[in-house]
Amino acid sequence: MDIGFLLLQFLTGLAYASSLFLLAVGLSLIFGALGIVNFAHGSFYMLGAYLLYWVVRGNPEGLWWGMLLVVALGLVIGALVERLLMRPVYGRPEHYQILLTYALLLVIEDGVKLLFGPAYKSLGPPAALAYPVWIAGAPFPAYYFVQIALALLVAGLLWFFLQRTRTGALVRAATLDREMLEALGVNVPKLLTAVFALGVALATLGGAATLPMQTVSPGIAVEAVISAFIVVVVGGLGSVWGALLGAFLIGEIQAFGVLILPDFAIAFVYLLMVVVLLVRPWGLLGRPPAVRT
Amino acid sequence: MKRWTIVLALATLVGSYALAAEPIKIGALYMLSGNFANYGSASKEGVQLAVEEINANGGVLGRPIEVTFADHGSPDQAVREAKRLILENKVNFLFGIDSSSVSLAVAPVANEYKVPLIVTHAATPRLTEMCLPYVFRTSNNARMDSWAAAAFAAKQPYKRWANIGPDYEFGRVSWEDFITRLKELKPDVEVVSEQWPKFGSSDYSSYITALMRAKPEAVFSSLWGGDFVSFGKQAIPFGFFKTIRFYVNPTGGALQALEPLGKNTPEGMLVSARYWFLYPETEANKAFVKKFHDKFGDYPSYNAGEAYEGMKMLAAAIEKAGSIDPDAVKAAFEAGGGLKYQALEGLKWMRPADHQVFEDLVWGYTKNTDKYPFAILEPIVVVPAKDTIYPTKCSK
Repeated sequence: MDIGFLLLQFLTGLAYASSLFLLAVGLSLIFGALGIVNFAHGSFYMLGAYLLYWVVRGNPEGLWWGMLLVVALGLVIGALVERLLMRPVYGRPEHYQILLTYALLLVIEDGVKLLFGPAYKSLGPPAALAYPVWIAGAPFPAYYFVQIALALLVAGLLWFFLQRTRTGALVRAATLDREMLEALGVNVPKLLTAVFALGVALATLGGAATLPMQTVSPGIAVEAVISAFIVVVVGGLGSVWGALLGAFLIGEIQAFGVLILPDFAIAFVYLLMVVVLLVRPWGLLGRPPAVRT
Repeated sequence: MKRWTIVLALATLVGSYALAAEPIKIGALYMLSGNFANYGSASKEGVQLAVEEINANGGVLGRPIEVTFADHGSPDQAVREAKRLILENKVNFLFGIDSSSVSLAVAPVANEYKVPLIVTHAATPRLTEMCLPYVFRTSNNARMDSWAAAAFAAKQPYKRWANIGPDYEFGRVSWEDFITRLKELKPDVEVVSEQWPKFGSSDYSSYITALMRAKPEAVFSSLWGGDFVSFGKQAIPFGFFKTIRFYVNPTGGALQALEPLGKNTPEGMLVSARYWFLYPETEANKAFVKKFHDKFGDYPSYNAGEAYEGMKMLAAAIEKAGSIDPDAVKAAFEAGGGLKYQALEGLKWMRPADHQVFEDLVWGYTKNTDKYPFAILEPIVVVPAKDTIYPTKCSK
C-alpha cells in the first residue's frame, strides 16, 4: 500500500474525527463542570444545522457569517435552557436530569419537524470549496480542510480558555469542588450558565460545520448523541482532551478499518469502546471516580 | 301523491343507509417520526388522497373507508401498534409499512389474527417469501430492482464491479441478489470491493476513498434516503462520479433524496423510482400529480404513488370479493391467475403463490433541467415485468 494513499486515508479519518470532536466536546465540557449527562446534546447539534440552513436561506456563500450567527444563537439558547430548565434540577437525583434532557430531545425533534418539515435539508459548500484539492495524486474535498482547521482552532481556543484565563481556571475548579468554589465567593450559578451555553454553542457549531458535506433531518439528533457518547466514553467523560483523543482514534480506526476488513469496519469502533471500558472504565483521559471516605 | 312520499322516504332511507353504513376500518402503519419521517409522511399523503377519492365515489361496497394512522417506529413498537389497531380499533385490514425489518415483524402478527396486511413500501424479498396467506405486497420489492439493475449491468461492457450499501438486511440482500443475477447473465464480471457503512451514517469519506482505490469500472449501491444524499455530497468532491463509468442505485429516484441534492445531483446515475411522477405521460397520471400537488404542495414521491395505488388496489380486491371477509379478499387477490389492477404507472399483477405484485419497473438516468429545481429521470428506461419475475418457493 503506497504512502500517498495512506496519507489520503489518514486525512479522511481526520476529517471525520474533526466533525466528531466538534460534536462531542461540548457534551464532555458540560458533564465535567455541571455533572449533567445531556441527552439533548445531539439535538443542539441538529439544531445548529437547521439554524444554519435557515439563516443563510439555502445560499452556500453565507456559510461563514452563518456559522458565526449560529454560534451566537447557540449561546443564547444554551443560556436560556440552563437558566430555565437545568437550574431547578441541580440538587435532585441524577435521573431527573436524564429525564429532563431526554424530554428536551423529544421536544426539539418535534419542534424542528413542525418548523422545517420532515424532509432532508442540505446545503452545499461555498463555490470556492466545492472542488477537490490534490493530495498525492488523488482528489480530496477542499471543505474537509476547513472542518479540520475549525476543530483544531476550537481545541486551541478551549485550551487557552481553560488553562490561561481566570474564568477557565474557575471552570476547572468547578469540576473538582463546586462547594468550595461557592465558599470562596465565586458566582457559581453564573459560571455554570456560561459553561452550559458554551457547550451548546459548540454543538450548534458542530452541526453547522458539517452541513455542507452532510444532510440534516429531525432524526439525526439520536444518531449524533450516540456518536458523541461513544467519543466521550472512549476519551473520558468530562475531559476536553479526551474528546479530542477519542474523536481522533475513532476517525482513524474507521478510515483504516475500512481498508483492513471492509465487511466488519463498523465493528472496530465498538471493539475499541469495549476494550477501553474493560481496561479504563473512566475513559482514556478521564479521571477515575474519587474514593469517598 | 302518498305513494310518491313513501318512495321518496324509502329512497332517502336507502341513501342515508349507504352513508351511515359501517366504515371499512384500515390501520395504516408508517414511519412518521425519526430520520425517515419524510418517507412515512409522503406515504400517508398518498393514502389520504386515495381514500378521499374512494369515499367521494361512494366508498367500497357502499361503505366508506376509515383509516387510522400509526407511527410504526422500531419493529417492537410496530408490533405493539399493530396489535392495538387489531384489538382496540378492530381494524379490518392493516396497511403500509416503510421499513423492511418492521414488515418482517408485523406480517406474522397480522397473519395470526387473520387481518390481511397490504404492504406498500417495505421491500425485502423475504416478506413475500414467508408465504403467509394474509400478507400481500402491492409495490415491487428489492429483488426485482436488483434483477432489473443486473439486466442493465449485463448490457454494459464493464467487468470490474464494486458495492456500497447500508449494513443491514436491505443492503446485503440487494447486493447479493444483484451480483448473483449479474454473474448468471454475464459470467466474466469480477467484484473488486464491497463497502458496508452503518445505516444512517453521516460520513462516507473513508468508504469513498477505499472504493475508488479498488478501481472499479462500475458501482452498485443500495444507499437510500439521507445516506444517499450525504454520500452523493461527499463523493462529488472526491471525483468519484468522474472516475466511475457506471453507477446504478435502486431507489435513488426518490424525490426525498433528489430534492435536497438539488442542482448538485450527479448526472448520469442510473436510478429506479418504483413510481416516478413524470411517467407515464398520460392524462390520468398528470391529473393525479396535479391533484396531489394542489393538496399537499409537493410532487408525489415514489412511495406516495405506491401507497395511493396500494389503497386503490385493495379497494378493487374488496369490490371483487363482494365482502371484507379475509378469505374472500384473499381469494379475490388470487383468483383467475391473480388480480390484475390497472394502476397509473401500468398494470400491477398479483402473483397468487407469494402475493407479490409484478409490474414494469421505471428506471432512468439523472439529469438536471431548467424545469425542476431537482434532477429528473431523463431518459426514462422501463424494465418489462417479465424480466423481474423471479422464482418463488411459495406454492399455490
